[in-house]
Amino acid sequence: MLDSLVNLVWLVPLASFLAAALTWACGRWLGRMVWIPCLAASAFGALWSLLVLIRVASSAPAAVLVDVFSWLQVGELDVTVRLLVDPLSSLMLFMVTFVGSLIVLFSVWYMAEERGYARFFAEVALFLGAMSSLVLVANVLLLYVFWELVGLCSYLLIGFYFTRPSAAAAAKKAFVVNRVGDFGFAIGLLLLWTLTGTLHYDQLLGGDSPAINSLTPPWITLIGLLLFCGAVGKSAQFPLHVWLPDAMEGPTPVSALIHAATMVTAGVYMVARFFPLYQASALATGTVLAIGAFTAFLAAAIAVTQTDLKRILAYSTISQLAYMFMGLGTGQIVGAVAAIFHVFTHAFFKALLFLGSGSVMHATHGELNIWKMGGLRRFLPVTHWTFLCGALALAGIPLFSGFWSKDAILAAVWEAEHGGLLVRVALILGLVTAFLTAFYTARAYFLVFWGEPRDEEVAEQVRHYAEDGHPGEGQQHGPAEPLTMQVPLIALAAGAVLLGLILALGTGGLVPFLGHSFGYAEAGEHGHHPLLLVVLSSLLALAGFAAAYPMYATASELPARLAALFRPLYVASSQKFWIDEIWLYIAVRPMLAVAAACRVLDTLVVDGLVNLVASIPAVLARVFLRPMHSGALQFYAIGMLLGLAVIVILVVLRAS
Amino acid sequence: MPVEFVTDYLAIGGVLFAIGAAGFLARRNLITMFLCVELMLQGVALSLVAFSATWRNYHGQAFALFTVAVAAAEAGVALALVLLLFRQRRSLDVLWWQELREPGLPLAKVPEQEPVDEEPTEPQWPKLPPAGLEPVRKRETVDVG
Repeated sequence: MLDSLVNLVWLVPLASFLAAALTWACGRWLGRMVWIPCLAASAFGALWSLLVLIRVASSAPAAVLVDVFSWLQVGELDVTVRLLVDPLSSLMLFMVTFVGSLIVLFSVWYMAEERGYARFFAEVALFLGAMSSLVLVANVLLLYVFWELVGLCSYLLIGFYFTRPSAAAAAKKAFVVNRVGDFGFAIGLLLLWTLTGTLHYDQLLGGDSPAINSLTPPWITLIGLLLFCGAVGKSAQFPLHVWLPDAMEGPTPVSALIHAATMVTAGVYMVARFFPLYQASALATGTVLAIGAFTAFLAAAIAVTQTDLKRILAYSTISQLAYMFMGLGTGQIVGAVAAIFHVFTHAFFKALLFLGSGSVMHATHGELNIWKMGGLRRFLPVTHWTFLCGALALAGIPLFSGFWSKDAILAAVWEAEHGGLLVRVALILGLVTAFLTAFYTARAYFLVFWGEPRDEEVAEQVRHYAEDGHPGEGQQHGPAEPLTMQVPLIALAAGAVLLGLILALGTGGLVPFLGHSFGYAEAGEHGHHPLLLVVLSSLLALAGFAAAYPMYATASELPARLAALFRPLYVASSQKFWIDEIWLYIAVRPMLAVAAACRVLDTLVVDGLVNLVASIPAVLARVFLRPMHSGALQFYAIGMLLGLAVIVILVVLRAS
Repeated sequence: MPVEFVTDYLAIGGVLFAIGAAGFLARRNLITMFLCVELMLQGVALSLVAFSATWRNYHGQAFALFTVAVAAAEAGVALALVLLLFRQRRSLDVLWWQELREPGLPLAKVPEQEPVDEEPTEPQWPKLPPAGLEPVRKRETVDVG
């Protein structure tokens, strides 16, 4: 009974795929009830994966392999659709489906006024199926397949409002930037397969003699770096982070689901999945740590001066993902566990913050500039309180969930004993980022919900909305905060507040659980939080939050004065350190120039040659054949008769 | 029938075919051309029957019967087409139907008579032009309608 629970885990992605197909096929017929298949599938998935998680947590052996069917078997190549249920994948699966179903529930309300309601739910269901498959499969090839499939869903959903040029451009940008990372990822996976001859995790990572042990160190380092390329693209790390802020063009639930909670953590998951490989290479883990630490700081520094609420959250997501890579970059089991812990808590509070900003967006009728808001807590009480929970968790205020997971990562970096300079720099950057995170989170929170309205038009819109509900074109004007949007917000807020406490203290920490993930070596001592570090990071977080209060909670000249004082820094940060422009000049423009040159070459040389060859018969026909087409019936008859005569004469001559 | 006689029949068939072909090429009247085609067909049918008799099986005869049947159907369609063409131009001259030539090419031969444009007062029927020796009677055309 219990084992069939795990053996049938493929029902979770299958349900979502079926929901996507059903929504796609019957969307028109289902009308406004088109959300039912998607929500049903994700709720079913959440329930099932919760049971699987409990089953995995309460039993040994911790890892179960489920062979669903054999897909391909050609010579040496053996592709079996094999699922791996272990602590890591079951936790990720539960996170994806649980947060996913809450976001779907929120979308039922949020997207109600949109055209393309059915398209939205079909694509979200497809995404949920692909993402839950991504975390479950135990096969490198299938990992890549679903890796690309979630990328496709991301592309489709960023471009949901495809009639808006900026959304179409953002979708294209996300897709192209991800191609850059996936190029390395694909080569890494192919190398892994070529050198070990197997695609399956159980042969690569598990057993008495994992196949990766047979690789020489340079190859391990190369493969680790190439796989990390994919993670850098998918998880939006420097220098490929530029797509994520633009991805905010998609509907807000999509930002919450794909670009905060689940898809962008696929890179972290992948590195954690191949963690034994990374542990074998100091250079690979060092790179992960360096990229993580730098990106964390960079993204936080950009977020400090952004004015678009969703973009602040997007940079914050980049920064938090970078924290996770810092954890993985320590090369220790405790670090990897801390990273996955942060993935889990981050999914809750960041999804919550995005959904809250979605509610704010509805109230302001799409206005996202935080300098035009203010005083919204009076109009949107539920949104305000839940947003506050998420903000406190993100800021790392003690006892909220983000505090525990972020602290676990910083502790793992602190404990990375043999690190030397890199680890010390990473730790300092991590602590600075903790301060900046608290500051920009508080800044956004205070500007949106505190103080007085700053823009008359937006204030009028909000007041109108709080009284009449939805200001859309539809007839039904529901309440401003109906139950269908309160439930997901409150559930996520509960997670944002309590998850850290429960997981860090209630269950004795995640290390004993996640440390038994597939292929992980025994974790030595369980990570203990050094008291000095805990105090330091708590103080930094509190200081960041407190520092924002006088600047943004009330009308104050301080922000403008500070901006004027540190003008170069302020401009650099608000211009995102010109990274988009750098990409424009080192990659986009040269590529366009190459493309233009190719086009000239194509039209002049290639097309010219083809047209030249094609014109020869045309000229011949004009000179010789055209006069024969006189239209005179008997001329054709003569031609036929002469031809017949020639054939007959030839036949007769041959016969005699 | 002995094998050696087949050549006689084949010769007659060949002559029929050749006369038909020559007539088709030489005459410009649509109905005459059509009759010439029938002549060619009959030449072929005769050869088929001769072969059938020579080899003492029914293959050739079967084909000859098919030819006759198809020729009958074709005659119905072809005469209807000729009638329609005549109604368009009030003439049976094949030179009036050279539209399938390449654009810009001159007419291979310009018909001598202009077709009648005005609406006829009484129904008109296609006429065969005079052929062979001029008859004694003072009639310009032979009425086939």
